[in-house]
Amino acid sequence: MATETPKKQLQSPRKPKQSLNNLKVQSSPLSISLSPQTPQSLIPPQAPPRRSLRRTSLHFSSTPIEDSIEYEKSDPKTPRKAVEEIGKISGQSRKGQSHEERVKTPKTPKIPKSKRNDENRKTAKLGILGEGMVEAEVTFSSVTPEVLETKKRKRGEDKTVIPRAMATRSSKKKEKKRVYYKKVVYDEGEFDVGDDVYVKRREDASSDDEVPEMEECRVCFRAGRSVMIECDDCLGGFHLKCLKPPLKEVPEGDWVCGFCQAQKLGKYVEFPEPPEGKKRVRTLREKLLASDLWAARIESLWKEVDGSFWFRGRWYMIPEETACGRQPHNLRRELYRTNDCADIEMESIIRHCNVMSPKEYAKANDEGDDVFLCEYEYDIHWHSFKRIAEIDNDEADDEHADSDEDWNSSKEPDSGTDEDMEYEEESTRNAQARLSTAHLAANSRKGHFFGLQKIGTKKIPEHVRCHKQTVLERAKATLLLATLPKSLPCRNKEMEEIMAFVKGAICDDRCLGRCLYIHGVPGTGKTMSVLAVMRNLKSEVDAGSIRPYCFVEVNGLKLASPENIYRVIYEALTGHRVSWKKALQLLNERFSDGKKIGKEDDRPCILLIDELDLLVTRNQSVLYNILDWPTKPHSKLIVIGIANTMDLPEKLLPRISSRMGIQRLCFGPYNYQQLQEIISSRLKGIDAFEKQAVEFASRKVAAISGDARRALEICRRAADIADYRIKKQISTVNSSTGKDIVTMAEVDAAIQEMFQAPHVQVMKSCSKLSKIFLTAMVYELYKTGMGETTFEKVDT
Amino acid sequence: MGREKEKENPSQKALNLLRTRLSNPNFVFKPLSDSPDSNYSKLKFIISSSITEACNNSILLLGPRGSGKVAVLELVLSDLLQQYPEAISVIRLNGLLHGDDNCALKEIARQLCMEHQLLFSKVASFDDNSQFLIAMLRECGLAHKTIIFVLDEFDLFAQAKQRLLYSLLDAMQSVTSQAVVIGVSCRLDVDQLLEKRVRSRFSHRKLLFLPPSKEDTERFLEHILSLPKDSSLPHSYTVEFNGRLKNVLADERFKELINTYLSFNSTIGQLMRFLFQAVSYMDLDVGFLSLENFKTALSSTQRQPKSECIKDCSILELYLLVCMKRLEVKEQNSYNFNSVMTEYKSIHDFQTSDNYAGNVCLRAFEHLLQRELISFTDNRGHNQSVEFRPVKLLISPAELYHGLKSYRSCPAILLKLIAR
Repeated sequence: MATETPKKQLQSPRKPKQSLNNLKVQSSPLSISLSPQTPQSLIPPQAPPRRSLRRTSLHFSSTPIEDSIEYEKSDPKTPRKAVEEIGKISGQSRKGQSHEERVKTPKTPKIPKSKRNDENRKTAKLGILGEGMVEAEVTFSSVTPEVLETKKRKRGEDKTVIPRAMATRSSKKKEKKRVYYKKVVYDEGEFDVGDDVYVKRREDASSDDEVPEMEECRVCFRAGRSVMIECDDCLGGFHLKCLKPPLKEVPEGDWVCGFCQAQKLGKYVEFPEPPEGKKRVRTLREKLLASDLWAARIESLWKEVDGSFWFRGRWYMIPEETACGRQPHNLRRELYRTNDCADIEMESIIRHCNVMSPKEYAKANDEGDDVFLCEYEYDIHWHSFKRIAEIDNDEADDEHADSDEDWNSSKEPDSGTDEDMEYEEESTRNAQARLSTAHLAANSRKGHFFGLQKIGTKKIPEHVRCHKQTVLERAKATLLLATLPKSLPCRNKEMEEIMAFVKGAICDDRCLGRCLYIHGVPGTGKTMSVLAVMRNLKSEVDAGSIRPYCFVEVNGLKLASPENIYRVIYEALTGHRVSWKKALQLLNERFSDGKKIGKEDDRPCILLIDELDLLVTRNQSVLYNILDWPTKPHSKLIVIGIANTMDLPEKLLPRISSRMGIQRLCFGPYNYQQLQEIISSRLKGIDAFEKQAVEFASRKVAAISGDARRALEICRRAADIADYRIKKQISTVNSSTGKDIVTMAEVDAAIQEMFQAPHVQVMKSCSKLSKIFLTAMVYELYKTGMGETTFEKVDT
Repeated sequence: MGREKEKENPSQKALNLLRTRLSNPNFVFKPLSDSPDSNYSKLKFIISSSITEACNNSILLLGPRGSGKVAVLELVLSDLLQQYPEAISVIRLNGLLHGDDNCALKEIARQLCMEHQLLFSKVASFDDNSQFLIAMLRECGLAHKTIIFVLDEFDLFAQAKQRLLYSLLDAMQSVTSQAVVIGVSCRLDVDQLLEKRVRSRFSHRKLLFLPPSKEDTERFLEHILSLPKDSSLPHSYTVEFNGRLKNVLADERFKELINTYLSFNSTIGQLMRFLFQAVSYMDLDVGFLSLENFKTALSSTQRQPKSECIKDCSILELYLLVCMKRLEVKEQNSYNFNSVMTEYKSIHDFQTSDNYAGNVCLRAFEHLLQRELISFTDNRGHNQSVEFRPVKLLISPAELYHGLKSYRSCPAILLKLIAR
């Protein structure tokens, strides 16, 4: 650990004294001497400092591992075997040096280790490919042992705590198998999958323990019950009454304490010293931000064969640990989620912390000290940032993860050897493309896109964070077509009808011949309404009031050819990719012959086909097949078709129209009041538009098409024009004289731009000869009365 | 030797400088970009605001050919690439090359892969590519990166099912993506070509590129043609050059000249071509631009190839042309060599000096065909011999008349015949 301290200083030269107490407990000097050989130097530069650091820090405290390194280095030619042996060796070595209960995990850790090895080898290899070096094997083998040890060594010295774990789900606990849980009560704390926890960093970390639940005041050093205020800069807490001058209540907005203010002005500030005999206790939060602790997100929980509880954690990182360091726009409490996972024993968990998305963070102001903000994911291999997907996608991801886990846990107890395979899979899922980019193309999809994690900004651009939105910009953001409105006004009746249809179909046991045809001009909210209904239904499924179903969405225009729809449907249902002929055969078997393979197949299936008219082929067999399935007794298939034309069923062959045309729903164009309501519901709380302007826009659009998209675009364009005008004014006059509100003039300009063909303007400015030619042509037209004419005739 | 001469001669250098300027669109369009009303600043505002505010936009750049649509766009893009070096990736497609949806998507995937150093596979199917595109849009959106699609010859994308446009625009409004689609077209009604569901998804930003006004043109000429003060050219030369140029530009005759040129075609691209020609006519010994240079350039752009062709014709060929014209005046619309020959004979009933035999006339007739002063009316009857295939004149009577007049030694009888 002595080696670790200086490195630490290199990384974040903040508080060297923090590591002083670490220095007390030292391991053998051997580790120090060995440190230069560590793979860090071998790993190419893109290897993240944190990971390696973390590993080394743990690794050097034990001597036996060094031996294993030596051993592996001597045998670089057989990497595969080495993996196995490393597993064993480190297992043994751990056994040898393990002080406590580690002994009781004799066999099982082997598997995770070998897996880790694999994963690690991938990184090492890749890096080396990039560097053009050849000694992948050596690097790899030397990397591995540390990795193995990391997670195990996380444990604190609190073995006095007897694992009092009990599974809330008292499922059949088969011995010799791993058991996965969703929730574990451990050490009097409940831990769910998806929770965020503090994780102990090293063994001596508990030396200054008795973690305070409450933060102390920085002035009087007492915790107390009275209201405290937090400085936005140094995150220190202050009692309102301890401040000079004292504050009566918590002020709005940002507040910076006097010390920070003074420091900013360049003065030397003496912080109030704690009273004698009382050591200044750091809270967990402070320790985390000083990187003396780690935070992780629990991805899965399981119980080992020996009864110890483990979890797979996804690390959080503080900005200082990233490649580009702390950026000026980073908030004090900001963390990054990494894509680095590790298996950790439950004992090293200290307690919960709260890592929130910006939205939640903005809402949660006084939820205690352990609140952190996390907006970005950090890729430790490419050193790039990426926003964590928005809530919608997040849900989907969660669901995906859940289902995966179900699958895991259902599969898990089958056999012990299965574990290996399963781990392989998991590791491919986690570390997918690191290996694969080497030989797989990014755009040819075999279930995954490879190499997508390469994308990401090296730095989070400043304009994203440090920019205060003006009213107009906020208005523009809400008017975007992509932003999903919170409520969908004016389509209640239709939505109810769809809801009733789908519900009736699902709950009806037979669900015979259910088919709904929705039509309407573009931009009247057809797809959106259906999707909203499906979202509502999903929440009902989650609540348990209706049976689960599967939902498949297909867009006719996105298919390469109409026949491909079979393939897409089959893939959505089962996850396998087959040719469309095979898919048709399988789907036929499933829907018309009623052959059910898995238990999932028993669920009712809702098929949403957008742009249905694109599926019309010459003999219309595709449509016929799809619409024929619902009529079969055991199909449990519900088809919702969406198209623009009202009379599509009539245009088709009678055998199809009889199957499709029974139940129809028409989405009429919006009238101006509805459009106005849509726009104003989006603009609620933003005072950027004149009321007449909105009405003008909606009346215009309603008169022409009744297309909501068009109306929103006009308003957005108008806001754009106003914004442009104002910004130009500011840049030229240096004072914002223009009122930042969208008026009739701007809306009119936007409408002109959108609806008026630019011919008149072009004609005004075109050259003399072309004008002459045009007039001649018009004259010729009048003379002959014919619509068409030839150049020669005009010429005369 | 040549190099030495160049060194000595400032006029050579000046000429080179002017030529480089004229062929560099960046320089040409820079001065037009200052004012807030210019397309440059509008376009830049739209794109940069969609980068900073993370929104999707689709813009149409419309205008006749040569009005600087692509040039301005490139200018904006290069500026933005400097301003936000990491946050933009530009995908360029051309309707002439990628009009087919399948190959357009493939090209998009290829360019995306190039941009992000991913491996690209040629064999990926349409589905794969479109899903890759959507995944990329999402990832880039999450990483605060904007993808800019530049679709040149946009009207060619707006054909058939418009699957590419639909999937692009649909992805842009459903996923958390940041993308800008810029369509460049010279068809003014291109948004009417879009299918209704595509049009509904298109956010109709339109920028119209118009030829510059008269004042703009003058400003512009001065900007382009005057030499910079702080160049390697000798100071005295620069001053004199600019002084003379000012005189030329202020000359009424020059203005008239420019106006005649602009009445043909008033786009910037054409003007540049004209100026290039004028500058090339500059006399290196004098070393200054003069009005004469512009005059020669103008006359060289206004050449009449057909009347020049007539100058090279023989007398017999002129006779044949006049005969054909006379046939047309008689409203005999379809004629072949034989009917022309009868007309020719009838002319020579009273005038016999230029009477040639039939085979000589046929030879002259074939020569006219080769010069493309006349041609066959249709492609049928290849197996027929030349005499029997119907022909037509490719030269207008007025042109023929002027050609005859300016002919060196045109027989008076011909002029009389054509006038009748």
